[in-house]
Amino acid sequence: MNPLHGNDWPDAPGAGPLGDGRFATEAVHPRTVDEVREAVTRQAEAGRAVYPQGGRTALDYGRPPGRPGAAVDVSGLNRVIDYPHADMTITVQAGMTVAALRSVLAEHRQRFLIDVPQADRATIGGVYATNASGPRRFGLGPPRDQIIGVSFVTSDGNEVKGGGRVVKNVAGYDFPKLLTGSMGTLGVVTQLTLKVRPLPEASALVWTRVPNPDRIDPLLAALDASSTRPVAIELLNPAASWIMADAAGGWSLVVGLEGADESVAWQVDRLGRELEGFEYQVHRDAEAEPLWSALIEFQAGETGALACVANLRPSRVASFVRSLDPERWAVQAHAGNGVVRMRGLGDWTEDRAAAAIDAHRATAVRDGGNLIVARCPTPWKDRLRVWGEPRADWALARKVKRALDPRGLMNPGRFVDDL
Amino acid sequence: MSAPASPTTASRLLADLTAVVGAENVLHHRDEMLVYECDGYVIEKQAPDVVVFPTSTEHVVAIVQVCNRHDVPFVPRGAGTSLAGGTLPVGGGVMICLTRMNRVLEINTRDRYAIVEPGAVNVWLTRALAGTGVHYAPDPSSQTACTIGGNVATNAGGPHTLKYGVTVNHVRGVEIVLPDASVVQIGGVAEDDPGYDLTGLVVGSEGTFGIVTKVIVGLTRDPEGGRTLLAVFDGVASATEAVSGIIAAGIVPAALEMLDNIMVRAVEDAFHFGFPVEAGAVLIIEVDGVEAAMDREAQAISEVVQAHGGKVDKAIAWRTRKEPEYMAIWKSRKSAFGAIGRVSPTFCTQDGVVPRTALPHILRFMEGVSERLGVRIANVFHAGDGNIHPIIMFDERDPDQVQRALAASHEILDECIRLGGSVTGEHGIGVEKMAMMPKLFTPEDLAAMAAVRDAFNPDGRCSPSKLLPTGGACIERASPGRRASA
Ligand SMILES: Cc1cc2nc3c(=O)[nH]c(=O)nc-3n(C[C@H](O)[C@H](O)[C@H](O)COP(=O)(O)OP(=O)(O)OC[C@H]3O[C@@H](n4cnc5c(N)ncnc54)[C@H](O)[C@@H]3O)c2cc1C
Repeated sequence: MNPLHGNDWPDAPGAGPLGDGRFATEAVHPRTVDEVREAVTRQAEAGRAVYPQGGRTALDYGRPPGRPGAAVDVSGLNRVIDYPHADMTITVQAGMTVAALRSVLAEHRQRFLIDVPQADRATIGGVYATNASGPRRFGLGPPRDQIIGVSFVTSDGNEVKGGGRVVKNVAGYDFPKLLTGSMGTLGVVTQLTLKVRPLPEASALVWTRVPNPDRIDPLLAALDASSTRPVAIELLNPAASWIMADAAGGWSLVVGLEGADESVAWQVDRLGRELEGFEYQVHRDAEAEPLWSALIEFQAGETGALACVANLRPSRVASFVRSLDPERWAVQAHAGNGVVRMRGLGDWTEDRAAAAIDAHRATAVRDGGNLIVARCPTPWKDRLRVWGEPRADWALARKVKRALDPRGLMNPGRFVDDL
Repeated sequence: MSAPASPTTASRLLADLTAVVGAENVLHHRDEMLVYECDGYVIEKQAPDVVVFPTSTEHVVAIVQVCNRHDVPFVPRGAGTSLAGGTLPVGGGVMICLTRMNRVLEINTRDRYAIVEPGAVNVWLTRALAGTGVHYAPDPSSQTACTIGGNVATNAGGPHTLKYGVTVNHVRGVEIVLPDASVVQIGGVAEDDPGYDLTGLVVGSEGTFGIVTKVIVGLTRDPEGGRTLLAVFDGVASATEAVSGIIAAGIVPAALEMLDNIMVRAVEDAFHFGFPVEAGAVLIIEVDGVEAAMDREAQAISEVVQAHGGKVDKAIAWRTRKEPEYMAIWKSRKSAFGAIGRVSPTFCTQDGVVPRTALPHILRFMEGVSERLGVRIANVFHAGDGNIHPIIMFDERDPDQVQRALAASHEILDECIRLGGSVTGEHGIGVEKMAMMPKLFTPEDLAAMAAVRDAFNPDGRCSPSKLLPTGGACIERASPGRRASA
C-alpha cells in the first residue's frame, strides 16, 4: 500500500487513473466478494474514498474525483453465477464484460437487451452504474427495465442485496432500480440479475434521407402512428450522418426493425409505403450489422473534447436537433425516447462551450428534460455544470445517499449535487 | 408516537383536520370506520381514528402537518383492495384516503405519458385512452376498482406483465408529499433525468415513503394484432410443462395464465364463456405484435401445447382488445376470484414466485401439501411469470382447518424461497408477510432498507409497522387471510 497521508493526491500514475487526471492512492483487484468487502473496509477505516472501476470506459464521466482514494477494480469478478436460460434470466458478477455476456447468451440464442459501446471493455456493472443505452432502448426498454436483482458492497463493508432472481418480485424496496444510474456512489456493485430475451430471427435498418429538415417533425409524428413497430428511431444531423455512414451527409432518419422473418418483411414493406416520396435504403440482417454498430458506437467516438446528452419530450426532438449548428455539433437522437447525443466538432473554448450549453440546456429544461455534459476538459467542468440544471429531487437523493453511505466514501465528488 | 390520548386531543385533531378539508371530507363516527378497519386482507383489523378525503395536494400537505403537530401516525389508502394489509392503520391515527383526488389531468399520446391523480381508478385511464392507439399497460385483475396510486405503492402486476412489465416499468415520475409535509417532484415527463432513479425506489414502497399525489405514467402502443388461445390439458402437470416449453422455445407471450379444474368449473358456472369443464387445466396464451407474424407464432404455440398432450380449444384472432370474444375470455379470467365463493366460503391466497422452469415442481409440491394436510387448493395464476396464487380453502369456523390452511400457506411459501423465488410477486409485504422478510433477506439487507426508509420517513409516522420487520419479534398469524385475487 502506498503510505500516503492526509488529503494528498498522488502525483504519479503508479496506481492508475481515477479519471480527470487524478490518480488512485492504490489499486486493488479483488477476485471475490469477500475481497471487495475487505478492500472497502480497509479504505473506510483509513477514511479514504473508494472508486469502483470496471472496464474504465467512462472514467472521465461526471465531475472530478473529490478526494484521494483507492481504485477498486471489479473486472476480476467476472463469472456467470447462474444462467437458467429457459427462465430467460441470468445472474452475473458485475465485472463481466458485455461482450463476454453476449457470447454466453448466444449459446442459447438469447441476448442482453442494452446497446453498449465498447462492449469488449465495458462491464455490466459499469453499464448499470452509468445507465448506458443505445438505439434499441426504444423497443427493448432502458436498463432499469431489465434488472431484477442487485448486490452491492456498501461503505461499511457489507454486501447488501435487493430484488432477487425471479422476474416478478415486490418483496422489499427496489434497490435494483436505485442502483441503476447511481454512478457508483452507493456501493460497489458486485452482482446483477437481468432479464434476457430470445435473439430476433431477423432485423433490418431502413436508412432514409430527409433532404428538407422541415419534413423531420412530420415524419417523426407519422412514425409515431405507423402500423410498424420499430425497435429504434434514430435521427442524425448531417454531421452525424457523415460520420456514421453516408459520405454525402444530409439529414437521416434510421428506423430499426426486429422480430420474426414475416414480421420484419411486412414492416419493411409497409414502412416503404409510409415513406413514399423519400429516398431510402434497406439493410438487412448481417448486412445491417456495421450500421447498427455505428449507431451504437457514436457516443464513444474519439473526436472532440466536448460531448453532451440532452433528454426531453420526444415531440420536441426535431426542433431541438435542428437548433444545433451542424457545423459545431454531430447529433444523434434516439428520437422515440427523446434522448439526444451531441458531439462537439472542431475547436471550442470554455466560453463558447458555456454559452452554447447554457442556451441548449435552457431549451431542454423548458421541454421537460435536462442536458448533461458527458465529456469536456476537466477545468471546464464546474462552469459547464456537467450534470445539468439541478432537479427538484436531488435534495431527497442526498438523503438516500447519506442513508447508504453516511461518510460519503463511495465515488465522492463525481455525481450530481455532491452525491 | 401515540394515538390521541384523551377525548380533548382527539377532538382537537378532528377539528384541525376538518378545518383543512371541510366536514364533508372527514369521517370519524365509529360505524363509519368499519369499512376502513381492513382492506382485502381481513385477518387483522384496526380502525383509524379519522378518515380524511383530501381533494388537492395542498390538502394532503396540510393534513400531514396536522398529523405531525398532533404526533399521530397516518396511512395512505386508495381503493383498499390490498391483499397484504397495506392500508392497516397500525396504532390508529389518520387514514388519508385518496379516492377524491381522482382526475386524469393530462394525456399526451405523442410523448407517451399521462398525468393522473392517485385516486384515479386503473380502468378509467384505460377508458380515457380508448381509441388513441396507446394504452396504460399494467392491468391488475382488480383494475375496475384499484387506484393508480395504490398500483404505484404496490408495484402492481397483472396478466400482461409477462411481456410488458409491471407498474414500475410504466411510471416516469411522481409528486409525493413526504412525511415532513414537503412536496417533491420526482422524475418527470422525459426519460433519463440525471440523478438517482427515485421513481423506481418509490414505486413498490407500499406507502412507507409518503403520500403520492400525482403520477406520471408512460403509455404503450397498442399491438397491431394478436392471438389469444385457450389450451386444454388433462392435468396441471402437463399444463405447467407446456408453460416452460413455450418460454424455452423462445416465445415471449403477452400473457400466459393457468386455471386448474376447480377454477375452470367455478369460472364457467359464473360466466358461461365456454370453458371445457372437464379439463384438468387450461392455459390462456396470448401473443401480440405485428399481425403478419401472428399465425406462425400461434402455430408454434399450438405445437408446444400438443407436444405436452394438450390441445388448442379456441383461438381468437384479434386486431383490437375490444373484440367481444377477447373481452369475454379476459373478463372470465379476471373475475376468477369472484367465482371462487361458489366453491368455498372462506379461502386465502398466496402470491409466491418461482423460476418459471420450476412451475411443474411447485404444482406437484402443492398437490402433496394438499393431500398431506387435507386442504383443498385451487389454482389460477400468472404462469408465464412463475407467479402462483394458490387458493387454499377452509371453513373458518373450524380451528383445525384454519391451522392446516395456515400450515399449507407457510409450506408453499417456504418452498418458493427454497427454489430461489419470492414470497410476493405483486401483492406486497404489507403487514401480512413481514415475518417472511428475514427468510428472503439478510439482516444487512434489511438494515439497508430500513436506512433508506428512514431517509424518507425518519419519524416513522407514515404507515408505521409495514413492509420491514420491526425488532426481532416475528408475529405468527393466528388465521390465514380470507379474500383472494390475482
Ligand atoms: C379481486 C382482486 C384481484 C387482484 N388482482 C391483482 C393483480 O392481478 N395484480 C396485482 O398486482 N394486485 C392485485 N390485487 C391486489 C390489489 O388490487 C393491488 O395491490 C392494488 O394495487 C391496490 O390498489 P388500491 O387502490 O386498492 O390500494 P390500497 O389497497 O388502498 O392500498 C395499497 C397500498 O398502497 C398504499 N397507497 C395507496 N395509495 C397511496 C398513495 N396515493 N400514496 C402512497 N401510498 C398509497 C397503501 O398505504 C397500501 O400500502 C387484487 C386484489 C383483489 C381484491
